[in-house]
Amino acid sequence: MTEEPLLSVRNLEKHYPIRKGLLNRQVGAARAVDGISFDIAPGETLGLVGESGCGKSTAATSIVRLEDPTGGEVIFNGGGRAGATRNGDGTHPNDVARFDDRELKAFRRDAQMIFQDPSSSFDPRMSVGSAVAEMLQIHGMSDRHRRRAIVEDLLDRVGLSPEDYDRYPHEFSGGQKQRIALARALVLNPALIVADEPVSALDVSIQAEILGLIADLQDEFGLSLLFISHDMSVIREICDRVAVMYLGEIVEIGPTDRVFADPQHPYTEALLSAIPTPDPRSTATGIELTGTVPSPTDPPSGCRFHTRCHKVIQPDDVDLDQSSWRGLLNLRDALAAGSVDVDQIRENVRTGGDLAATPDAVKGQIRHEFDLDETVSADEMESLLDAALDVALAGDPEGAAARLSERVTTPCEERVPERTSHAADHESACLLHERSSPPSPADD
Amino acid sequence: MSTPLLEVEDLTTTFSTAKGALTAVDGIDFAVAEGETVCIVGESGSGKTVATESVTRIVKEPPGRVEGSVRFKGRDLLEMSEPELREIRGYEIAHIFQNPQEAMNHCYTVGWQIVEALQIHRDVADETARAKAIDLMDRVGIANASSRFDDYPHEFSGGQKQRVMIAMALVGDPDLLIADEPTTALDVTVQAQILRLLEDLQAEFDMGILFVTHDLGVVAEIADRIVVMYAGNVMERGDVLDIFERPAHPYTQRLLNCLPEIGGRKGGIPGTLPDPLDPPDGCRFAPRCEHAVDACVTGDQPAEIEVNPGQRASCVHYRPGRDDSVVRDGIPDADADGEGVSSADD
Amino acid sequence: MASKKPEQFDRVDWSELSESSRFDLSINSIGMLAATLPLALLWLYDYQFVGERGATFQAIGLGRNLDPLDYFFVFTLFLFFFYLVLPLYQNPRMTRYYWAEFRRNRPAVVSLGWLGVVFVGGLLGPLVISAPEQSILTGHQPPMFLSINEANVATCVGDVVNGQCQGTWQHPLGTTRGGKDVFAGVVYGMTISMQIAFITTTIVAAIGITFGTVSAYAGGWVDEIMMRFVDVILSFPTFLMFLLILYIYGAGLGMFILVFSAFAWGGTARYVRSKSLSVSEEEFIKATRISGASTYRVVRKHVVPNVASSIITQLTLLIPGFLLAEAQLAFLGIGDSAVPSWGQLLSAGRSDLAFAPWIVLSPGIVLFLTILAFNFIGDALLDALNPEAEAESA
Repeated sequence: MTEEPLLSVRNLEKHYPIRKGLLNRQVGAARAVDGISFDIAPGETLGLVGESGCGKSTAATSIVRLEDPTGGEVIFNGGGRAGATRNGDGTHPNDVARFDDRELKAFRRDAQMIFQDPSSSFDPRMSVGSAVAEMLQIHGMSDRHRRRAIVEDLLDRVGLSPEDYDRYPHEFSGGQKQRIALARALVLNPALIVADEPVSALDVSIQAEILGLIADLQDEFGLSLLFISHDMSVIREICDRVAVMYLGEIVEIGPTDRVFADPQHPYTEALLSAIPTPDPRSTATGIELTGTVPSPTDPPSGCRFHTRCHKVIQPDDVDLDQSSWRGLLNLRDALAAGSVDVDQIRENVRTGGDLAATPDAVKGQIRHEFDLDETVSADEMESLLDAALDVALAGDPEGAAARLSERVTTPCEERVPERTSHAADHESACLLHERSSPPSPADD
Repeated sequence: MSTPLLEVEDLTTTFSTAKGALTAVDGIDFAVAEGETVCIVGESGSGKTVATESVTRIVKEPPGRVEGSVRFKGRDLLEMSEPELREIRGYEIAHIFQNPQEAMNHCYTVGWQIVEALQIHRDVADETARAKAIDLMDRVGIANASSRFDDYPHEFSGGQKQRVMIAMALVGDPDLLIADEPTTALDVTVQAQILRLLEDLQAEFDMGILFVTHDLGVVAEIADRIVVMYAGNVMERGDVLDIFERPAHPYTQRLLNCLPEIGGRKGGIPGTLPDPLDPPDGCRFAPRCEHAVDACVTGDQPAEIEVNPGQRASCVHYRPGRDDSVVRDGIPDADADGEGVSSADD
Repeated sequence: MASKKPEQFDRVDWSELSESSRFDLSINSIGMLAATLPLALLWLYDYQFVGERGATFQAIGLGRNLDPLDYFFVFTLFLFFFYLVLPLYQNPRMTRYYWAEFRRNRPAVVSLGWLGVVFVGGLLGPLVISAPEQSILTGHQPPMFLSINEANVATCVGDVVNGQCQGTWQHPLGTTRGGKDVFAGVVYGMTISMQIAFITTTIVAAIGITFGTVSAYAGGWVDEIMMRFVDVILSFPTFLMFLLILYIYGAGLGMFILVFSAFAWGGTARYVRSKSLSVSEEEFIKATRISGASTYRVVRKHVVPNVASSIITQLTLLIPGFLLAEAQLAFLGIGDSAVPSWGQLLSAGRSDLAFAPWIVLSPGIVLFLTILAFNFIGDALLDALNPEAEAESA
């Protein structure tokens, strides 16, 4: 390691217990963040991107310890903590998760946060100047005039006027409030700022200004940024490196330009292709993800993305059209989950005009609803599907699922993919790469 | 161009507030033809949502007040009585909104809500309605539709709820679909699905779509024609290619320049929206416009002038006898445009 | 200041600032302490040296006595001044904004004027007007501009015209059967009403806010137990409790206030709890927490002020209930007849309604207007104290 990272997150976990019953017994956990690791170098911007519910905001609040993480380490080496080595018992003296109250308060000066919603990020009953100055007061600056001087200077630097000190939040527009939020995050002179969707609530013309300001301030004060967003175009613009999250895990991490130019994980690929491009001539049709994001309380086994993946792996001896394969897997999962109501479907076929509702018609309807209209290309699979549907029609969906499972299985649900390295600093976690490339030299 | 399905002329919507009359939409015109997608683009506070809600008069009256003329298939919606309008709403003109959560009733199953929407307008038997509802759910891409008919809204994800809303909008085979930021609350991957669905359905049902959004990426994807709104006024209108490749109004130019793919986000648009209670004289955008001259700050919003065939801009610089090079120079050059886009692809 | 180089945030040497933030008092708290201290000393003196029967100020020749209720009333006035009026003066921008919002509601402005009259009258009236005294001979005197049949009065203070006794400025609102001046009674009733309003509000707010915020922030079992206790309080038959106490101990105004406010804070506590929970989810609370502020500070500086502004409305609407309850009890003859409240006046005139309606009408109208005023103001405050809602609609 040539240079010590400012922040290094290792296997960070945040599980929310789910309690039930009179005795509040824990019956499970929502794995909002489930073992993520990354580093941020001094002055660097790391983007954390993902769909809503992927755990990126929870990751942010756990890193700055607004919430206590349930596992893992957050090692912060900024603010004069550099050069520390691990204690004898393997714990790290700079592990934020283990800071006591005094250390935590000192840490607050070195790591700050900006929030998404400018309308609720200021106390409506406190002038914005006092809100920023309160930061200084909490950390022991009792000289009122000095606080005011510092805040006025800072307001000036973020593009407002010192006279705005006495104004109240409702007198500012969203963009202006976000500038003040930046001032509030900066006033303690931190080394790291965690920005949780700081421009998502703003108009595009305001976004550009705020992003420009963030970049300027970052250059001027050598800040490191953890930038959380669901907007790939914002990430692309401001981040040096990007980490893509799905269901509490990082599926791909690498330099921004490399990830955008050459995404390695199918999820990243789908995410990138879904961004609408402001070019009316562009006819590129993106990859369409089917299904919905599974619940973090019961994440899928193996690769968590396999339930939606458009590149889900087929067994070695199967070679189907990828969309049929996807349909078969979806049908199998729906049958196993008991969400295919055969009686209902029969009823519908009947009300649809086909009074006889022959088994073939019902089967056709089921196939239609799972995009399996066409004959599956391999005979063996076609007959298996037909046989399984017969079992389902006989009133045994579990049996049908079991029947399908004889052949319709994917390695993706059986093995948790390791991170594979593609280029310097560019890693992803997908079985496709584990198979195609020789086993990578022991990483981590 | 085919005959317009919807023709809006001089539409003005004002709200009476404690601080005086607020003009949210200030005398705008637009038209939607059959099978065409028109996008109203604008930032928050531009009045785009109020404009579409004024079309079927679902804005609250009072405090709102809608004036002008809205001709739909030759009939003026603003002169219709409330019962007549109800016949058209949700049947010939359907609405979908930004927040599917709020637009659904959480006490009833999803299927039942579609059936109800169907039976409001058509006297159909329960079984037929049920079959039709399932067919619609299937058509809007809800997997396993038959079994999900009896599920409640909370059992659906945001994207699926929006699909259900679209299914409900389709019950009457609408001629016009008004979609107000239907994908803003959704994730990009889901947004892509919904946009594709709308395009497919449009081809299938030959609907006109009036699409409201602030996202220029979405606009480029689905629009045939664009109406750019700012502070209750139309700044520019035209074909999607013209607007993106030869934007004429300084506001449109600045807006496009905010996009990383086109202008590299050079500085955004300094300044803030004018106060809707006390709008500035002349062009509403003049206070933030770098090309503003004296003629820009007097009188009303300038009349629209044809700058290219089918493309009109409300900017004094295009008046006859004026040198329009000053604004034409602000157009992002085609090379930078092309380059940005190509690298944004795949 | 001008000569000094402008301070910049990145040049602060934090190590030279003491880590432990000193316990610094705001100007409001200093003022509050400075005002309360003499009051406490006076009370001590009164309690220790003057004794039950003696007047507090007899040493300097004044006959005025202060009972515990008066001390508490003055204390609540100090609270009102230092934590409500002074902050309004200290934050002129916010005050102007609130006022502009409040002013839009015309009836509320008139109501505020009326309550101002009641407040000043209640505070200063007893100092200039002597307490109404019994004088059987001048009973049933009519108010100014009215007259009464001579047969109904023992002695007519004013002129007698055509056998009708005319009102005089000596008794502008007439007198009761016992000859007590109604105007003086109304003014002294203002004092009582103000005492009820201020003291109950203070007690309800103090218990309600403490209970609500502690419950919201403690969570878990503590929260559960506290809220069930609130349920008990809310379902307690206060009136019966008051009757019981009345029979055992006898009930003065102090007891009335104590009993009724001790069982009235349940709703406030519940409201404060739910409001605290929603406020604590706001991003500005997160932003304060991430600045390293203690939970106490977050609650004291951000949660309570944001909750307080909305419970002010609730409290304002609670006051009429207390005033009415007191009047009703007094009217039924359950109150302390020594207390010159409006209710007592109403009660005194109820048998003479046929020929001397002013005895009931004057305090009745004043009571009605005061209750109406509180309701109007509560309504206007609800709109005025909500800047976020306004900012969104604008």
